[in-house]
Amino acid sequence: MSTKPYALEIRRLRTVFPGPTGPLSIVDDVTLGVRPGEMLAVVGESGSGKSMTFLSALGLVSAPGRVESGQVLVGGRDLVKLSAAELQAIRGQSISMIFQDPLSGLNPVFTVGQQITEVLRAHRRTGRAEARREAIRLLERVQIPDAHRRLDDYPHQFSGGMRQRVLTAMAIAHSPQVLIADEPTTALDVTVQAQVLELLDTLRREAGMAIVLITHDMGIVARHADRVAVMYAGRVVEEGAVTDVFAQPRHPYTLSLLRSIPQLDAPVGAELMAIRGQPPLPGTVRQGCPFEARCYLGAGRPACREGRPELAPAAGPAHLSACHFAETLHVQEAIA
Amino acid sequence: MSRHLARSLAQLLLTLAGVVTVAFFLMRAIPGDPALYMLGDYATADAVAVLRAKLGLDLPILQQYLLFMQHALTGDLGTSVVTGQPAMTEIASSVPWSLALAVSGMGIAIAIGVPLGIVSASRHGSWIDRAVMVGALLGISFPVFWIGLVAILGLAHKAGLFPTLGASSEPGLWTSLHHLALPAIVLGLSVAAYIARLTRSAMLEVLGQDFIRVARAMGVSEHRILYRLALRNALVPILAVISVTFAWSLGNAILIEVVFSRPGLGSTIMKAVLARDYQLVQAGLLVLAGAVVFVNTTFNILYGVIDPRLRTR
Amino acid sequence: MAAEPEPVALPAPQRRLAPMLAHSGLVTGAVILVLLALVALLAPWLAPNSPDKTDLMRAFAAPSWAFPLGTDQFGRCLLSRLIWGARVSLEVAVAVVALSLSIGTVLGALAGYLGGVVERVFTGLNDVLLAFPGFLLALAIVAARGSSLESVVLAVSIAYVPRVAVVMRAVVLTIKPRAFIEASHAIGMSDLRILLRHVIPNAFPPVIVVATVSAATAILAEAGLSFLGLGVQPPTATWGNIIADGQTSIVEHPFISIAAGLCIAVTVIALNLLGDGLRDTLDPQMRRQTGLKAL
Repeated sequence: MSTKPYALEIRRLRTVFPGPTGPLSIVDDVTLGVRPGEMLAVVGESGSGKSMTFLSALGLVSAPGRVESGQVLVGGRDLVKLSAAELQAIRGQSISMIFQDPLSGLNPVFTVGQQITEVLRAHRRTGRAEARREAIRLLERVQIPDAHRRLDDYPHQFSGGMRQRVLTAMAIAHSPQVLIADEPTTALDVTVQAQVLELLDTLRREAGMAIVLITHDMGIVARHADRVAVMYAGRVVEEGAVTDVFAQPRHPYTLSLLRSIPQLDAPVGAELMAIRGQPPLPGTVRQGCPFEARCYLGAGRPACREGRPELAPAAGPAHLSACHFAETLHVQEAIA
Repeated sequence: MSRHLARSLAQLLLTLAGVVTVAFFLMRAIPGDPALYMLGDYATADAVAVLRAKLGLDLPILQQYLLFMQHALTGDLGTSVVTGQPAMTEIASSVPWSLALAVSGMGIAIAIGVPLGIVSASRHGSWIDRAVMVGALLGISFPVFWIGLVAILGLAHKAGLFPTLGASSEPGLWTSLHHLALPAIVLGLSVAAYIARLTRSAMLEVLGQDFIRVARAMGVSEHRILYRLALRNALVPILAVISVTFAWSLGNAILIEVVFSRPGLGSTIMKAVLARDYQLVQAGLLVLAGAVVFVNTTFNILYGVIDPRLRTR
Repeated sequence: MAAEPEPVALPAPQRRLAPMLAHSGLVTGAVILVLLALVALLAPWLAPNSPDKTDLMRAFAAPSWAFPLGTDQFGRCLLSRLIWGARVSLEVAVAVVALSLSIGTVLGALAGYLGGVVERVFTGLNDVLLAFPGFLLALAIVAARGSSLESVVLAVSIAYVPRVAVVMRAVVLTIKPRAFIEASHAIGMSDLRILLRHVIPNAFPPVIVVATVSAATAILAEAGLSFLGLGVQPPTATWGNIIADGQTSIVEHPFISIAAGLCIAVTVIALNLLGDGLRDTLDPQMRRQTGLKAL
């Protein structure tokens, strides 16, 4: 267990959007952290708040949403309290984010070189020639072949995987301490996925970058991440080392998720296990556990209906769960 | 790039051919005998027959069409029945007036409309945005000739800032400009309203794109995002707005010219319509439509220059 | 309870109505238009006097109980003329919208859906027609046919059909590649059925927006043509005519022309508010489709 200080620490973050009957919490009291050289995977269904958490951390929530409370600590500074200008200086410098769709993430009317240079010069006074050299170096670092020629190509002349690498190059241009990758591989084929993830691994090892990988693919989590945080309805419901969580999940939702992954060696004709129902719409769960309605363990139980479980250590200090019955969950209920 | 250019030029020729065709058939859609109309009170059977022969109206329609095309290529657009002069002469003398009005009007419209649209989009939801949009709404809702009348009433008659007519026979650059000013301002403000609204839409759409969000996440300043990254993308739609509103303004210039008693292509067409001088009407329409086609083609070529995606196809 | 499959058709009408009612611009526009429609329909009962009755003794009379807005240079009641003018504008707007939309949407939908040669011919033809500024085209047609209400309606409709068709084609092009169309093909639905059952209903929202824009354009065009003396002929009262009438005496008696202009403006503003509101509430993607091309 690492005792290094967190590179990024989010404490009790709450982001709200106005709703018909009052503000809706899209990010509901989220606490997370990632250390230098560590890869934290954040998993959850669509709408679980996983992207919004980090967009909020970077101050990229578009109106009418806003961060209501909480802290986001990077390098000793609380991003929530910073002015727009200060935030802008930090983005891309100390903390960067890459998004899901590489096809629309690059500006179609500028060359790749111009866009990388744009990021370089946003935070550092760099001469044009030097910026160009640095851009070539960055492209080489993300393994784009023939970099000095491709610098002058336009985004539509690159494939999806290469565009994602260009975006990654832009994100690491200033060697940030934290890199947030929001489903970087969802829009790519499996082979390209592997390359992008390998790149992230390299960054983590060689540069000691703290990486947050937002994904819904448990396979990727198992293969690449050190720690995993499971989110549901805007809250973190479980967090721990990947090996611990996968071996013995301490939250029924995690357990159900893992169980629902089809197994290659399952008997022929075995049923696919799905979690019945839908995640609650933001703001519709007032009290109690948000997962209660769909929980095989807690559905209908008064404790789960009325009492909201807090994220607390369930099996050792580094494995947290937000479930009243965390400690009683048994491995046999996991993957059969 | 050259492929785009070639394609644009080919389209230009094709469209021009179509324009000539439509203009031709439009005027042939007049019910009744044009020769009869033109001669009016002097229409005796013989006179009509002579005129018909002279105008080539007794030839089969296809032949008339081909002849017309042929003449159009050489710049002969027929003869005005009122003055007996070639239609081209009439038109040629009114073009400078229209050109002055169109250029100054569009200039004002672009200078006011585009920046307002951009500012509005960048401050989406603020009071500036709302004020601009309210103003633009009023601008597109009041008939342009009414605005002209009110302007003449208020600024020319009552305030005496401008002459009440849109043109003067006195020589001198300053006089001409002074007389041009009010019509140009009225036209300009009217078109600016459209341009502001559409520019704002175009900018808002670009600002909502992913790559803007990415730039923001990379720490690029808002100023640069707006004026360099977003604007370059909105440039093609904004130019498209300008080209479309230009065509619109040519159509409405006729109203301005009438209200301000100003000579120009619109006035010429108007007089021709009232005098049943269909050759002149036809010629005027053709020239105006031709101008629109030329401007559109120029813009089309420009799009190819600006948007790299159009080049490497 | 298992999750319900995503509906492929439009969302339920009730769900669409709520955001519309909350949009202040849309509601304002709609209310004004309804009032105008009522005024126009009830003209024979609402107008205090006959719009055509002249009385040269009472020319340019000041507002009074008998003549709430005064009289024009022929002693005709201004308010009555404005009320009856509303009728003309309404007729023109409705007729033009009906005509240009019915023809334009069909042409545009066919071009967009069938593609190939049909689309190419359509686009070429459209480029040519759109080269003629709308107002001038209408003017030429009215000049050719002679001035009357029918002429104006026909002329403006013809001038506007290509504009409607272009928008429709653009909309259809965005609907065509969608998954549910492909699925419909796959289960053996005929092209005609697909067009009627899926394409056209999904194309409704932008078409409604275009309808408001073409209604606004029609009213402005009629006003312009009447002002030039080429539209509806006097003594019939139309707002354009009234402005023209008032022009000769505008310095001493500006109110006549100003009042008629305000009537036009209010109507067009209401139509634009409605159109903008519809654009905002129905589908954000529509902004691009209906904004520029409908000019």
